Amino acid sequence: MAKIIIDNQELECREGMPVLRAALEAGWDIPHYCYHPGLSVAASCRLCLMEMKMPHPKTREMDWAPKLFPACQTPVRDGLEVRFNSDVVKTAQESCMEFFLLNHPLDCPVCDQAGECCLQDYSYKFGRAESRMVDPKVVNPKKDIGPHTLLYTDRCVTCTRCVRFTREIAGTGELCLVQRGSKNEIDVFPGRPLDNPMQGNVVDICPVGCLLDKDFLFKRRVWELTGTSSICPGCATGCSIRVDHADNRVYRLKPRYNPKVNDWWMCDEGRFGFKYTQDNARIIKPMLRRGREETSPSWREIPDIVRFRFQDHVRASSADKVVAVLSPFMATEEAWLLIRFIREVAPEAALAMGPVPVEGEPQAFPCAPPGAPSMPDVKFTILEEKCPNRRGIEQLLEVSGGTVLTFEAFSEQAAKGDFTAAWIVGGYPKPWVEKDTAKLGSKFGLLVVQDLFENKLTEAAAIVLPACAWVERDGSFVNAKGLAQPFERAISPPDGAMRDGQYLFEIAGFEGLYSGQRVRELMAEATASLTEVYEAPPIPAHAH
Amino acid sequence: MKNVGVDGSTTLKVYESRGGYVAARKALAMDTNAVVEEVKKANLRGRGGAGFPAGVKWGFLPKDRTTTLLCVNADESEPPTFCNRVLMEHDPHQLIEGTIIAAYATRSQVAYIYMRGEFHEQFHVLQKAIDEAYEAGYLGKKVLGTDYALECYIHRGAGAYVCGEETGLIESLEGKRGQPRIKPPFPAIEGLFRRPTVVNNVETLSCLPHIMERGADWFTGIGPPHSAGPKLFCVSGPVNKPGCYEAAMDITVRELIERDDMGGGMLSGRKVKAVFPGGLSMGVLTVDELDMKMDFEDPRNYSLLGLGTAAAVVVDDATDIRLVLRNVARFYGTESCGQCTQCREGTSWMQRIAQRIESGAGRMEDLDLLLETARNMGMMPGLSICGLSDGATYPIETIVKKFRPELEAAIRSQPAGQVEAVLQAAN
Ligand SMILES: Cc1cc2nc3c(=O)[nH]c(=O)nc-3n(C[C@H](O)[C@H](O)[C@H](O)COP(=O)(O)O)c2cc1C
Ligand code: SF4
Ligand code: SF4
Ligand code: FES
Repeated sequence: MAKIIIDNQELECREGMPVLRAALEAGWDIPHYCYHPGLSVAASCRLCLMEMKMPHPKTREMDWAPKLFPACQTPVRDGLEVRFNSDVVKTAQESCMEFFLLNHPLDCPVCDQAGECCLQDYSYKFGRAESRMVDPKVVNPKKDIGPHTLLYTDRCVTCTRCVRFTREIAGTGELCLVQRGSKNEIDVFPGRPLDNPMQGNVVDICPVGCLLDKDFLFKRRVWELTGTSSICPGCATGCSIRVDHADNRVYRLKPRYNPKVNDWWMCDEGRFGFKYTQDNARIIKPMLRRGREETSPSWREIPDIVRFRFQDHVRASSADKVVAVLSPFMATEEAWLLIRFIREVAPEAALAMGPVPVEGEPQAFPCAPPGAPSMPDVKFTILEEKCPNRRGIEQLLEVSGGTVLTFEAFSEQAAKGDFTAAWIVGGYPKPWVEKDTAKLGSKFGLLVVQDLFENKLTEAAAIVLPACAWVERDGSFVNAKGLAQPFERAISPPDGAMRDGQYLFEIAGFEGLYSGQRVRELMAEATASLTEVYEAPPIPAHAH
Repeated sequence: MKNVGVDGSTTLKVYESRGGYVAARKALAMDTNAVVEEVKKANLRGRGGAGFPAGVKWGFLPKDRTTTLLCVNADESEPPTFCNRVLMEHDPHQLIEGTIIAAYATRSQVAYIYMRGEFHEQFHVLQKAIDEAYEAGYLGKKVLGTDYALECYIHRGAGAYVCGEETGLIESLEGKRGQPRIKPPFPAIEGLFRRPTVVNNVETLSCLPHIMERGADWFTGIGPPHSAGPKLFCVSGPVNKPGCYEAAMDITVRELIERDDMGGGMLSGRKVKAVFPGGLSMGVLTVDELDMKMDFEDPRNYSLLGLGTAAAVVVDDATDIRLVLRNVARFYGTESCGQCTQCREGTSWMQRIAQRIESGAGRMEDLDLLLETARNMGMMPGLSICGLSDGATYPIETIVKKFRPELEAAIRSQPAGQVEAVLQAAN
């Protein structure tokens, strides 16, 4: 730790980190564009300038040097004294902001970034009120640079964050700076669009409205959005994300800083992977089937119906003929409630976990050029395991004891007719019921299926319960590294549906409202090892 | 410039016959540190523009380095400057000998000559000389029969002014976009290919054979103590004998223009109105300031940035100062690399204002706006990464300050309504 002085205030921070970062994290609001903690230092926007005390060349006495220093490029060392609150610094900030706005089209009313734009914020805080430029602006074109991204170059502040991202994090290097002087602009190479699995991040780190997400374009003003902390269910990496929503609809997902998992990034598959939650084909009502007759009971009746049907069944056949198949898309808390219920009505019930979807190979970033060995310093990994909570479910199965089966073993035994009653949880965003699994539908006297979409199993089930998407639920997921992380509920389920946690809570015999936290407390009494969750630290909004 | 004008001066034979490569032989027989000390003693200040002492710069190299690279800055793209060109065109072996001495003194294994892309002839002349030097054993695995090995390559630039800035040059040599690097790390610690690197100008290196041959004392005996040694001066514009002349640095701007063995006075009927004495970037002098000494210190007394490239371009009284302003502003507007905000936006803004003033639609407040923009680009060191930004502000600031009455008169004489009409049409 080093002690430094900023604007007469003492601050303790890590030796070697940029003064800018130390100041931002301690709550200073210092304008900056080119600096991003996840990228190399460019020190080219010249907006974070500060004064620094240095020994006088002749007298060796410490005094303010007649020079400005970029705070992003100045490392913290013990005894350093700097200031941002001097007139010189303020004048430099003000003139720099004037320069930034010279060629800017000032089209905030039609810009998606408006409301979360550093140019707007800084101009307001550090700039001057009106433009003194009367000459025509340099106009640079709007460009379509890839499948997901638009580039409005006339709004660019040339911070080169995006260029550095594609080189240093994605490793694909599609973006570059062309031309000189005020004509310079960000561009792609001819015939090489911005197209890599991490590209969405360039939109996040662009401090202005230059890089835009086609998916979000003109959909919603950002100040109408509410952000909810969540975890991406796209793969077992489990990136921390923010779900931006309004009027009970999700508009976009953004990565949330998490030093233990994803730093500042997330992949495109995760980012754009929420569309299934808005699919009209989702199951939204509970359903009871007796022979050909289908009815839709109210949610109030569901706990009793389910409980009686299982109890009846156990009485009629036997408790070891019951099985529950959990899903790696369930929150640990939800799975715990289901296990608790099943083992209560049928203490000998078998437990299993549904198939773990795997696609391709893990992808590490920065990716190496074709044919080259992989890069030594991995900054981000997209895992081949395309579900969020295999580890959480496995841990639960382990501590639950009793008969625990692999999905293959379950399928085999079920096909032979070993089970008479089953509760099968789906919740997969993509169709998951393979041919062999589909055949199992007819093998049970009592089948409860909890799923998002209709399939061969729901068609065969006596009771169908709608599963909700993760943005409508709360709980925790354990990622591939074994880190348990909580996610919050962003929106309500579609009309008619109920959160899985809530009905499982009631079915398991608890009263009141479900919440991940509440269930973790209940779990703590039984299985303390499963209840510790890691929450990424919040950082000041302006510190990235 | 002793070989310039001699028949066959570019050939090894003639160079050797006039005492060539004797100095290199002498240097290679010495300890490398002794060579550095001799150059320090000679107080050889860099001829590339900044005037930094070469020996001191070499002293910044880490003591425990294993590789060192030498870059010869032959990008010479400062407007009206052509001293390096003369040296390469007429005396390439002197540069090669200087390069060998500098490379030996800094223990460099490779020397890259970064040559301005527009130098076609000069490239062929220098390349031929390098081939000859390899053949004769002055370059290669065993330089002059010793165990010292030195490779020398020419790299040709693609026509960007900013690639003459030493770290812009390094980036460009690495095959990247030519834009200056942030410092630290300084090139002496981590430069080309992340190795300790020295960048020196062609003329700086061309002085070395003479220092080694005749000694530091001979060198410091020429000119004032802070500006030692002979220096090349360019004179251009409407003078009788535009060209490159060698002199000590106690010469004045007036002498440079008027002496018979130099500029030879103005063309008949023309009078001096203004002089840019150190390339464009140092700023401008009025006709009353021609007694400025062309050394490393005096220009400061005339609100100039420094000696620069010591290339004086004369503007005569027939030239509208608005045209000069526009030309200067346009140069920096198109040559800024564009990474620093102040430089990117400031140069382009000044260019647009100057253009409008030149087109006859200036506003009085434009003059203050130009001054303030210049101040905002360079009110304090540290506002930008490299010196181009300062180099852009000095000429604009000095033109506006020193020729304000003329600019104001021109603006006043514009027809009424002109400004509004032009602005309306443009926006
Ligand atoms: C914008 C800019 C352009 C420059 N162009 C040149 C050039 O063309 N040739 C040159 O020798 N030095 C040029 N310099 C100076 C170099 O950065 C550097 O100081 C010089 O090459 C060092 O050599 P010296 O110490 O031998 O003078 C330029 C500097 C700046 C800021
Ligand atoms: S597009 Fe955005 S991130 Fe990229 S340089 Fe411009 S302002 Fe910066
Ligand atoms: S000062 Fe100008 S030329 Fe130099 S690095 Fe900055 S933008 Fe480029
Ligand atoms: S120069 Fe420090 S943030 Fe850009």
